[in-house]
Amino acid sequence: MPDKLVIADREFNSRLFVGTGKFSSNEIMAEALEKSGTEVVTVALRRVDIENENDDMLAAIDRNKYLLLPNTSGARDADEAVRLSKLARAATGINWVKLEVTPDPYYLLPDPVETLKAAEILVKNDFVVLPYINADPILSKKLEDIGVATVMPLASPIGSNQGLKARAALEIIIEQANVPVVVDAGLGLPSHAAEAMEIGADAVLVNTAIATAAEPARMAVAFKLAVEAGRLARKSGAAPAGKRASASSPLTGFLRDEQK
Amino acid sequence: MESLKINGVKKQFAAGIPATIAVLLEQLRIEAATVVAEIDGQIIECEKFAETKLHEGQSIELVRFVPGG
Repeated sequence: MPDKLVIADREFNSRLFVGTGKFSSNEIMAEALEKSGTEVVTVALRRVDIENENDDMLAAIDRNKYLLLPNTSGARDADEAVRLSKLARAATGINWVKLEVTPDPYYLLPDPVETLKAAEILVKNDFVVLPYINADPILSKKLEDIGVATVMPLASPIGSNQGLKARAALEIIIEQANVPVVVDAGLGLPSHAAEAMEIGADAVLVNTAIATAAEPARMAVAFKLAVEAGRLARKSGAAPAGKRASASSPLTGFLRDEQK
Repeated sequence: MESLKINGVKKQFAAGIPATIAVLLEQLRIEAATVVAEIDGQIIECEKFAETKLHEGQSIELVRFVPGG
C-alpha cells in the first residue's frame, strides 16, 4: 500500500532527508546517502576558494537518484537568503530551496522575522520553499498562509543531537499543519527519528547524527529503519499510555484457591 | 594594471583581465560546470559564461555547492 510523501509537485518514497555536511570524505558520504534510502539531500553554497585546487563534492552525488535541496545557510537576513536561493536556482535549474536564516552562531536558531520575509519573496519568485524554523506553531501557520511547501521545525539545535526537546510544540504544529511537516535538526539517534514519526511528522532531516557516527553508512541504515518503523507505528494507531497497570494476562483461572 | 574583484579580493591581471567569464575560470583552473557566477550582483547562467565579457573593476562572485545540512 503506497504511503508516498507529497511535497509540491513531487512524490517521495523515503521520509528521510539527509544532509551532506560533516562527512569525513565524499566516498563515505556517497555510501551513507545510498544506504539511507534518501531521495532528498541538502547542500550549501559557498565562495569558490580560488587559491586552492577545488574538490567538487557534487560529483559524488548522483543527481539522478537524489533531489538536490540547496540551503541558504550563511544568510543573516532575508536579502542574503533570497540572493543565495537565486544563485542556487541558477546553478541547478531547480527551484526548491531550504530556507535557512541563522545569524546566531551559538545556537544556529533561525530568525523567524527574516525567514518569513524571505519566504514571502521566494514564493512570489516561484520557489518551492522549505523553511527551517524554530518549533513555533504561529510562525508555521503564517508561513503556510504565504504558500510554503512544507514547514521544517527543529527538534533541538543543529548538530546538538539532543533529540525532540521541542516535542510539545512539534505536536501542536503537526496537529494544525496543512502542509507536510519535516522535523529538521537535533535528531541524534534513530530513536529520535522514530519518535518524530510516531508523533506524526511527515518526514525528518538528519545530518550530523549520520555523518559523525563512527560508521556513517551503518547509522544511515539505522535511521532508515527507524523512520520506517515510526511511520508504520503512526499509521497503526498506537494505544494510549496510562498511569495504572492494565493486565496483559487473564485475571481469572489462577492456580490457587480464592480466599473466601 | 587591470584588476577585478573576485570573491571579495582584488586580483591584478598583468596580461590584462580575461575577456570572458569562461576564460577567467580557465585561468583559475575552475571547472565551469561546478560554479555559479555573479557580476556586480547579477547572476550569470553557466551557458552564458563564454559570451559574458568582463570589464575592468567589476566585482565577481564565484560560488559553488559544498556539503551542508
